[in-house]
Amino acid sequence: MDVLNNLLDGFQIALSYKNIYLCLLGCIWGTMVGVLPGIGPLAGITLLIPATFGLGPTGGIIMLAGIYYGAMYGGSTTSILMNIPGESASVVTCLDGYQMTLKGRGGAALFISAWGSWVGGTLSIVGLMFLTPFLANFATKFGPPEMFAILLIAFILLGSLGRGSFFRTIPMVFLGLLVSTIGMDPFTGTLRFTHGVTELYDGIDFIPVAMGAFGVSEILISTEESLVRITHRVRLRELLPTREELRASWGPIFRGSGLGFLLGLLPGSAHVLASFVSYLTEKRLAQKPEEFGTGRIEGVAGPETANNAASGSAMIPFLGLGIPTGPAPAVMMIALMIHGVRPGPLFISEHAQIFWALIASMYIGNVILVILNLPLVSLFVNMLRVPFRILFPIILLICLVGTYSVNASTTDLIVLLCFGVFGYVFRKLQYDVASFILAMILGPMMEMTFRQSLMRSAGSFSIFWGSSISLVLMVASGLLLLWNIYRELRPTKATWESALKEGG
Amino acid sequence: MTKERGASIIFLIIGLYGLVLCRQLPLGDWRDPGPGFLPCGLSILLIASGVLWLIRGKKGGEGKKKEKIIWRDAGKKLLTPAKILAVTAVFVLLLERTGYLLTSFLYVFIVFFWISRFPLWIALGLALIIGLGSWYFFGGILGVPLPRWNLFNF
Repeated sequence: MDVLNNLLDGFQIALSYKNIYLCLLGCIWGTMVGVLPGIGPLAGITLLIPATFGLGPTGGIIMLAGIYYGAMYGGSTTSILMNIPGESASVVTCLDGYQMTLKGRGGAALFISAWGSWVGGTLSIVGLMFLTPFLANFATKFGPPEMFAILLIAFILLGSLGRGSFFRTIPMVFLGLLVSTIGMDPFTGTLRFTHGVTELYDGIDFIPVAMGAFGVSEILISTEESLVRITHRVRLRELLPTREELRASWGPIFRGSGLGFLLGLLPGSAHVLASFVSYLTEKRLAQKPEEFGTGRIEGVAGPETANNAASGSAMIPFLGLGIPTGPAPAVMMIALMIHGVRPGPLFISEHAQIFWALIASMYIGNVILVILNLPLVSLFVNMLRVPFRILFPIILLICLVGTYSVNASTTDLIVLLCFGVFGYVFRKLQYDVASFILAMILGPMMEMTFRQSLMRSAGSFSIFWGSSISLVLMVASGLLLLWNIYRELRPTKATWESALKEGG
Repeated sequence: MTKERGASIIFLIIGLYGLVLCRQLPLGDWRDPGPGFLPCGLSILLIASGVLWLIRGKKGGEGKKKEKIIWRDAGKKLLTPAKILAVTAVFVLLLERTGYLLTSFLYVFIVFFWISRFPLWIALGLALIIGLGSWYFFGGILGVPLPRWNLFNF
């Protein structure tokens, strides 16, 4: 009952004209950045951070969250109509979505994608609503050893679930942790790796690193081949799916909701993982799995539902524990901290209005997005008719201005360029850049909890298994690590990507 | 040169760099780990990762052919990204000197003319629209503090 009463209070705040307008703005902008290849929710959120300064934390987070889940809706549009994923989570939608477009069923694919996204997003918000307060209450019992144990298992999971093998992802985690140490040591004030550059005293800002490693590198990779793209038109009357397509979509939509919600709790590219796992699941459950990749509606319904469900549940660790599990939640966390609000175990008790207003706005936002992505989809599709060789400089300009807008600093732009090259090189070498970014975000917290724990215990490591919570987490970390090592040493190792290539 | 060996060289270089610099930082002890404690440990782990991948890359196996870096193809593919990086670097250097409006106009013009290969007058027209439009959108509507051209500081 408490939850429902709080939710009603949240709706009272979210249904104000100002907050509905901000939610709408966020959803429109999010859909646009999702549709445009090369610019994801990260750049979209970062660019609007300065615009939130005059809004207050409630309005600000409502708008930024709208961009985040709006991008998941928008990302499927380019996947289906152009065979180019607008967002990394929509990669797998290209497989069947584009094939449906070639068969003249692109409209139906867009419809089912939007419909599944709405169901997955809404069910995920229900889970978010119940689970976050529970997790936050539980987390108030955490001290530095417990937080360190959670971060350790998060990193090992990151290694297990990242693109490629565990031993390919883990060096990127180490690299991210090392880069996070640049700047002033929080305990002693000693400068580390700054080489006398004053702009590095506070460390390397996360936003230019993420924008460079994702945004700029994406443009560099996209422009390697041709700058010409083909876009297919969709008419409004072609939007409706057939009865068979609707019937075939229900199962994948509900399975995708569950899978996406659970996988979204994990650190790393959870929404990407969710869409891949959902696709593989539907393929395995299908009566004719060989038809996947030729335009099956299940290959669109499941993954798109899963990635939207994952984006909702990814907010749970971010809001309840203060641990962002992806780059976009990390930027939202930075935006909230700019407003003096820190997500974490005390967030709901100290800022209940903001939390419940956010939840209520997510319900509203999901409805707005279905309207934007169905009858108004042609508006966004028209953006794709702009030739890519005109679009990519605009996208680069957005990345540059978005980065500059945070601190009005040219140093940030230099960092953006350097990490653009970094992201380009490592993506060409097929290493997971997202793991590096997450490690960079969580590194300072991990170092602080580790050192605090050892200071408390006078150097004894037994503090890490002193409490039942940390003991369970440390044992789980150890088992997971051993399992990953075993998996690597086995003659054939199956990652979820290779399973997709091999056809499950 | 395989991709694994390429990455391992990068990890080794960064790990060694970190380890050399860490020697100047106090490590502390287990009771009170110093500022050099974690960077030192991570540098050693990176070096170990580099060595591991160097060995795995040398062994190769089934994937060796697929993951080899073909330098001729790499060179061709690098041309457009290299141009983009060069022009963007010039943008970054000029931004606070010549102001956003002029710099964005020049940047977009050069990208459209030199990289996207539009005819001169189309590149100029697009650069004008996008430069002015972006200046109004970011500076006017979103309120981003864009640098202005300061004649006396140039």
